[in-house]
Amino acid sequence: MKVPYNWLRDYIKIELPPEELAKRLTMAGLEVELVSTFAPLGENFVAGRIVSLREHPHGANLLLVEVDLGKTMLEVVCGAKNISEGDMVPVALSGAVLPGGEVIKPTEIRGILSPGMLCSGGELGLEIAEEEPGIMILDMDCSPGEKLTDLLPFNEPVLEIDLTPNRGDCLGLLGIAREVAALTGEKLLLPPDDVEEEGQKIEQLGSVEIRDTDLCYRYTARIMEGITIRPSPLKMQMRLLAAGIRSISNLVDVTNYVMWETGFPMHAFDYDRLTGGQIIVRRAGQGETLVTLDGLLRTLDPEVLVIADTVEPVALAGVMGGENTEITEKTNRLLLEAAVFNPTSVRKTARKMNLPSEASQRYEKGVDVEGAIFAQNRAVRLMKATAGGKILHGIIDSYPRPHKEHVITLRKSRVQLVLGYSIPEERITDILTGLSLEVGKAEDTLGENRKTDEVLFKVRIPSYRSDLQIEVDLIEEVARIYGFDKIPVTPPVGMQTSGRPSQVQRITSRIKNTLVSCGLQEVITFSFINPKHLDLLQLPADDKWRNAVRLQNPLTEDQAILRTSLLPGLFQLLQYNFNRQTLNQFIFEMGRVFFPRGEYELPLEREVLALALSGKQPLGDWQNHPRDLNFYEIKGIIETLVQNLGIEGLHWEEATIPLLHPVRGSKISIQGREVGFAGSLHPLLQEKLDFKQEVFLAELMLEPLLEASSLLPTFRRLPRFPAVFRDVAFIVSRKAKAGDLMDTIRAHGGTFLEEVSLFDVYEGKQIPEDCLSMAFSLTFRHGDKTLTDDEVDPFMEEIAQALQEKFDAALRKT
Amino acid sequence: MQKTINERIEELRAQFQQGIDAAPNLEALEKLRVKFLGKKGEVTTLMRGMGKLPADERPLFGKLLNEFKGFAEKMLDNQKKQLKEKDASQRWEKERLDITLPGKPFHLGRKHPLTVITEEIEEIFSYMGFQIAEGPEVESDYYNFEALNMSKEHPARDMQDSFYINPEVLLRTHTSPMQVRTMEAMAPGLPVRIICPGKVFRRDDDVTHSPMFHQVEGLVVDRGVSLADLKGILMLFTKEMFGEGRELRFRPSFFPFTEPSAEVDISCIICGGSGCRTCGDTGWLEILGSGMVHPRVLEVSGYDSEEVTGYAFGIGIERIAMLKYGIDDIRLFYYNDLRMLQQY
Repeated sequence: MKVPYNWLRDYIKIELPPEELAKRLTMAGLEVELVSTFAPLGENFVAGRIVSLREHPHGANLLLVEVDLGKTMLEVVCGAKNISEGDMVPVALSGAVLPGGEVIKPTEIRGILSPGMLCSGGELGLEIAEEEPGIMILDMDCSPGEKLTDLLPFNEPVLEIDLTPNRGDCLGLLGIAREVAALTGEKLLLPPDDVEEEGQKIEQLGSVEIRDTDLCYRYTARIMEGITIRPSPLKMQMRLLAAGIRSISNLVDVTNYVMWETGFPMHAFDYDRLTGGQIIVRRAGQGETLVTLDGLLRTLDPEVLVIADTVEPVALAGVMGGENTEITEKTNRLLLEAAVFNPTSVRKTARKMNLPSEASQRYEKGVDVEGAIFAQNRAVRLMKATAGGKILHGIIDSYPRPHKEHVITLRKSRVQLVLGYSIPEERITDILTGLSLEVGKAEDTLGENRKTDEVLFKVRIPSYRSDLQIEVDLIEEVARIYGFDKIPVTPPVGMQTSGRPSQVQRITSRIKNTLVSCGLQEVITFSFINPKHLDLLQLPADDKWRNAVRLQNPLTEDQAILRTSLLPGLFQLLQYNFNRQTLNQFIFEMGRVFFPRGEYELPLEREVLALALSGKQPLGDWQNHPRDLNFYEIKGIIETLVQNLGIEGLHWEEATIPLLHPVRGSKISIQGREVGFAGSLHPLLQEKLDFKQEVFLAELMLEPLLEASSLLPTFRRLPRFPAVFRDVAFIVSRKAKAGDLMDTIRAHGGTFLEEVSLFDVYEGKQIPEDCLSMAFSLTFRHGDKTLTDDEVDPFMEEIAQALQEKFDAALRKT
Repeated sequence: MQKTINERIEELRAQFQQGIDAAPNLEALEKLRVKFLGKKGEVTTLMRGMGKLPADERPLFGKLLNEFKGFAEKMLDNQKKQLKEKDASQRWEKERLDITLPGKPFHLGRKHPLTVITEEIEEIFSYMGFQIAEGPEVESDYYNFEALNMSKEHPARDMQDSFYINPEVLLRTHTSPMQVRTMEAMAPGLPVRIICPGKVFRRDDDVTHSPMFHQVEGLVVDRGVSLADLKGILMLFTKEMFGEGRELRFRPSFFPFTEPSAEVDISCIICGGSGCRTCGDTGWLEILGSGMVHPRVLEVSGYDSEEVTGYAFGIGIERIAMLKYGIDDIRLFYYNDLRMLQQY
């Protein structure tokens, strides 16, 4: 809502400068986003009366114009044709700077020196409506030599207020003025609305019938006759321009002017084009049509409320008028509408027709149903002043269910409770009355239990403040006018609570910390993806990942379905970074995936963790040259993670996973429960995704990790006796799995075998071609004594024998 | 010819001196020591042979021999020290490193900047006794709007253009549904003191809007909770988040589910309040929305709005991150350019 500062001052005395006013309004909840200057204009522009005109001796179409500037006379060269003797016109004197930046100085035009310039509206930076194009003709009372900036609202400060949706009442300057009144204590100055009626009674000419009273709450009409359509006075035009409204003609301008003043939208019909002189407010018939003022043919349906005459629709109620009854230069009689429509209906129609307007915006936020008559009277009064004619006797007022007065009881104790601060009784009364609310003392009728010294205010709510519905709404009024900033801070009350993060949050945070320590970068991608990205994964038709939740109204197909896996998002991200020469990517994301359930049930949301690694390691280490990553990096990270979460029973098992390499993928389970998979991206997919290097992936469900996790390690007594260490290597077939070998070693190592670790895998010289050498490091320890070699040897023999039997493993002699 | 005692000792001394001068290293020095002072060395041999001397010469001989022994030990020690020093300096020369060579890099990952900010916010509120709760990203119309005083036709719904799954199910447009969910789960228990971080979604995509972004909701319900308490908590929060010396203002505003409602601005962290591009020349930056829980919201969630009051607030995490890190395009958080993410 644009609020021209000096226009606002018509309705309230304001001593605060615009910037200060803006601050006060902002702090009262009417956020002023910007204070700008409308029509900036400098010095050296004055009014001049044209004394004489003659043709330029050397120039066709040029005139020499003598203008009276009060103290001096000036002869200027002028090309415009719309001026005549006696006209008052704006004169730019030498030194004046036009809004376009041009500096006026004496200039010779075809041999004659022109010391200044007569200005058009355009040259003054204004887009005004004129009878004839050319020099702006000043239409107000003024004397030659008066400064132009004193005559018209140039340099008008305009406050741009970002209104909250509950304050429809402030979509009119009077509403803003009421706020100012509450803030400054000044009195509201209502503009005159007395009307001089003449001629016929309105009932003789027209009638109004509301057929759908659920969509139209009130419809008032006045009729004027003998009007003349012409441009509005300059001052009105400029005020409208300052408010952001283009000037059209005097009648339309008045409806806009009064709308800006009161917040009440109005519409003028050409009465003589209303068949039967009747206004019928009804739902449109299915398929009925109307050509709206913008020239478009609209096909209607019963959801749309229209204003119709006896034959056809003439306007979309509250949204836009029809061409068939448009005010034209020929219009002699008009019917003026001031009506109130159902906000939802207007909103729906405006949306459906894609016609948001100043009027529909006001209807959507609620127009003051009691304000119709005042708006009518203001409008016809102004119309008569600018368009002449007669205002016929009477107003048609169809008002099926008149507004019921609403009274709210406000308890002083409640003000204190909600705000945490006691505001004096008189101050509360002052604030509420300042807001034009009527405050009376009330008897305590709230119940016997209540303390009798309770102070109660009975507050009558005016019709334009429909946002005030319950007690707490009034408490807010008191608080915001009193000033939120003046309410002191109190230390929080109530029982102390523990804010310690829950077990789940601590585990989640440990997961992230562990992965970050492993060198992985956390990423966050959108919860929605392109369905094509799932197709790309070549999943079987019945794969659960394919069954995704679809959005009804995505912004783009890239965000059309909710992800069922984090990997498609990570693929996009890997690609994005590969394209930016980031070839080493070690990333993880923790987030939700979504699976549909019943139609009106919320989808299943599941927290998952995904990892993606690609590139070389180590990086930037001159002592160790980088080599390509392999499967064991991602496996190691997952092992580290699981270990750091205090989880035991991690199991890897070769498996065919659709998007992974056929023989380089693994299922992962924890204590027998499958939690996810890890492996190398399928080479064909890698090619399809245009990745030039191998990518390693993993996706794990979080829930089983959280459930298996323990953040409380059990203390193990430190050993008191030394251990015996044995390194041993076996030559085994390539088909043997290291994991199986280690399981066997553990099974046959006896009770003193403390630890088994694999420290070398070797192939090559001295080893048969279909075999490998695997070297293990074994630690034996007894809890109560020092073990001797003799005690360990039998276990070593047993291990060797078991491996030989199971895997045909041969002890490698060194 | 029989040498005098003095001559014999002098000879010994000369031999020793010659040896010590010629000894090139510690090894040679040790050999020399053994030769003269060892168990079978010259001195011991001479001592043993002393019996053959005339009795009157013995004391003098013993004395001179002991003197020589002392002298030799001292010489050996000195020489040893010198040789050691020489040795060491040679060794150091060999062992010298180029300490300007880069160290072995240990690559740590980083958390996403939005996670960093979220964790910071969680930490601040945790210390103030707030529990952390999480809710669904896909919400019902009821929790997202209806229960928060936004009926189907409420104009405030326009403020939050939503992604729908079907007419009753949508991606949550804010974390506020968690107010109702939490209260429903806890009612009539008191106090309620939670924050709920999470992803939210609105149909908007430009420099300042992302279709997905993050919020942290806060909610306190108890007997006697007031706007003054809300101010207190939020002042503490902003002080922790942005440091001392930030001015804070509570500006009345409107949210359908709080009354009174306030937006909270801090003095611009770029210009300090004098006005700049970041703050749109106002000197203030809006950082969060807040208010007293609307009585109807308390009622639908199972609390008696006469008995208890509450306050709620919603913080935009991207907003805070953009201010703290000086990022001017919200979409940067979701491009996930690793070169950018690794800065945090």
